[in-house]
Amino acid sequence: MTGRAKVFSAFILILMAAFFANLSLGATNIAPEDILLAFFSFDADNYDHFVVIYQRLPRVLIAVFVGSVMACSGAVLQGLMRNPLASPALLGINAGATLFVVGGVVFFGISSAFQGIAALIGGICGFGACLMVARMSGMDGNSRGLSLILSGAVVSMLFIGIANALLLSTPELRNEFLGWVTGNINHVYIDLLYQMWPVGVGGVVVLLILSRALTLIALGPEKAASAGVNIVLVSRLAIAAVVLSSSAAVAICGPIGFVGLVVPHIVRPLVGAKQTMIIPGCILVGASICLIADMVARLAFSPFVLHTGVMMDLFGGVVFAFVVRRYYLTPGLRRSL
Amino acid sequence: MRLTTGLHGYVVLRFSSGLEIRLHNLICAMILMMVAVVGGVALLTTGSTDSTFSDLVGLFDGDAVSGDVAFAIADVRLPRILMGFMAGWCVALTGAMLQSLAQNPLADPGLLGLSQGSLVVIMLVLVLFPGLPLIFTPLAGFAGGLAVAVLLMVLVGRHHSGGLGILLMGIAVETTLSSVTSILILYAPPEQSHAISSWLAGSLFHSDWSAVGSFAAWFVISIPAILVIGRKLRSLDLGDHMALALGEAVHITKPVILIVAVLLTAAATAAVGPLVFLGVMAPHLAWFISPAKGRARLFLAAMTGGFLVVAADGLTRLGSDQVALPTGLAIMMIGAPIFIISLRLRTISQARTG
Repeated sequence: MTGRAKVFSAFILILMAAFFANLSLGATNIAPEDILLAFFSFDADNYDHFVVIYQRLPRVLIAVFVGSVMACSGAVLQGLMRNPLASPALLGINAGATLFVVGGVVFFGISSAFQGIAALIGGICGFGACLMVARMSGMDGNSRGLSLILSGAVVSMLFIGIANALLLSTPELRNEFLGWVTGNINHVYIDLLYQMWPVGVGGVVVLLILSRALTLIALGPEKAASAGVNIVLVSRLAIAAVVLSSSAAVAICGPIGFVGLVVPHIVRPLVGAKQTMIIPGCILVGASICLIADMVARLAFSPFVLHTGVMMDLFGGVVFAFVVRRYYLTPGLRRSL
Repeated sequence: MRLTTGLHGYVVLRFSSGLEIRLHNLICAMILMMVAVVGGVALLTTGSTDSTFSDLVGLFDGDAVSGDVAFAIADVRLPRILMGFMAGWCVALTGAMLQSLAQNPLADPGLLGLSQGSLVVIMLVLVLFPGLPLIFTPLAGFAGGLAVAVLLMVLVGRHHSGGLGILLMGIAVETTLSSVTSILILYAPPEQSHAISSWLAGSLFHSDWSAVGSFAAWFVISIPAILVIGRKLRSLDLGDHMALALGEAVHITKPVILIVAVLLTAAATAAVGPLVFLGVMAPHLAWFISPAKGRARLFLAAMTGGFLVVAADGLTRLGSDQVALPTGLAIMMIGAPIFIISLRLRTISQARTG
């Protein structure tokens, strides 16, 4: 068995373990055999079966979806932008989707069926605003796209500030949306998952198909062009897939930040620099991380249930600081920054 | 006191003690002051309760003014305007000081996470020790802000403080801290949670005379601080080596300035919440109005900051009645574009110097 095969089997094992642990642990612990029974011979009168199928399974599915979509998006963005900090949360996609959903609900009272569409439009706008600001700040040629991240942060701050102000001015909606805005994996959002999963899965499939070309682009545009890659087309397709699929993830359970930032940094040292390996790795590890974060959020302060987004902010912020220190504050780069 | 031409060829006002003030700075400061006063008076007479200028004059003359109007002017609007001015003053001052300390024109207490650090500790203290007198909250905030500042210095290192890396690190620290605030927002009872969020968004809504009174102490402290620190900043702005050569004990001066800056931020944060981007915006605008150094720079920056907050507050009240815009957001909306412009200016100047 090669090293890479070992790594991937470890990823799969971790995902399986996280999956079953998430289903079985909670306010009442449910034995693994009961979980299997709930799947294969569902008994509507059995309370445990009910909890597994109607409460925990939806959470697990949402966590798997959000984790894998966000992690792939992060990996692809980091490769395309050649920026170790690029991720949906830091490039304004999450904030844009959040603002449009909140704005749509506050101003137009849109139903949950249209929230997904609002989120998709919002994600595109957020990303566009971030690019525009970066261009206006006039540092395109700047080392390692630092200005891009900075403008993403400014745009996100502004969008989230506006979303919060909208919620503050409508107290009755605020109670409903406060959890969503901080990123909450909850079984009640399963309807949105039913509605949005094709977008996310489609995006990930597109990224998987493009992964070979994306690896070549990461090596450098000239090399990619000489290998016969249509750079403009591939980059545009990949970015469209990333923006749409991560906005779909935001539409379901609010902005769960930093999965996209953290996971590629875990996966890359283990599987190497090929996107053909990184993207599948990110799918597995992203799902596992979201499952584990969800579990920790539910169990760490029981009987209180924390929000998964809050846990990820805490964990992701620390990784963010680490990445900044590693990539931006190492000696020798001082002049260029 | 007479008008002469200074060493640099500028027209200065020279006092018999040897103190020199550039005439241009003085005039700009007076204009700013006048604009702030006029704006304040205009705001005093606008609002949902109808009131006219003659009501205002009547109130100060001791004439009979109807109860509603008197209440609206004296107990709601006046403390709000005063609080806005003083808080803006302190935050802008902090921004100017931090920019000199870090040798970074984009330093801002909000962007670097100092305000976030203050408010996390303030909230924790309020939750864990509910009976604590309110006068202690700025001190708690001070501890939090200082902790963030020290953490940033450790994480970034002194040689990188001039770059954009420190801003990214500040944002990283801020996001980590914001998870603590979101826990508090989510699990506090609805009314409290609403109050916390409106404070987090930066709000002058809770300003009454007692709040103004307790904040006034910090405002008064800031004036001698400007006089002492302004002079030191003048040599620090030339770089550490030059400052040392000019006889500045850099290893003492810098920590002292940092402590003063964090204290002022903490006080302002405790009173009105974080005002992000104001610390970048006000000094830049002040520089645009009148390029000054040292004390004059601090005074002008602080005054601009105070005026901006009053103006932003006015904008939020003139705006629509349905969506109440928090003052902090209004400042952010003005400040973000200015931040981007200063990023651009910085790029241009870097390209020029190579």
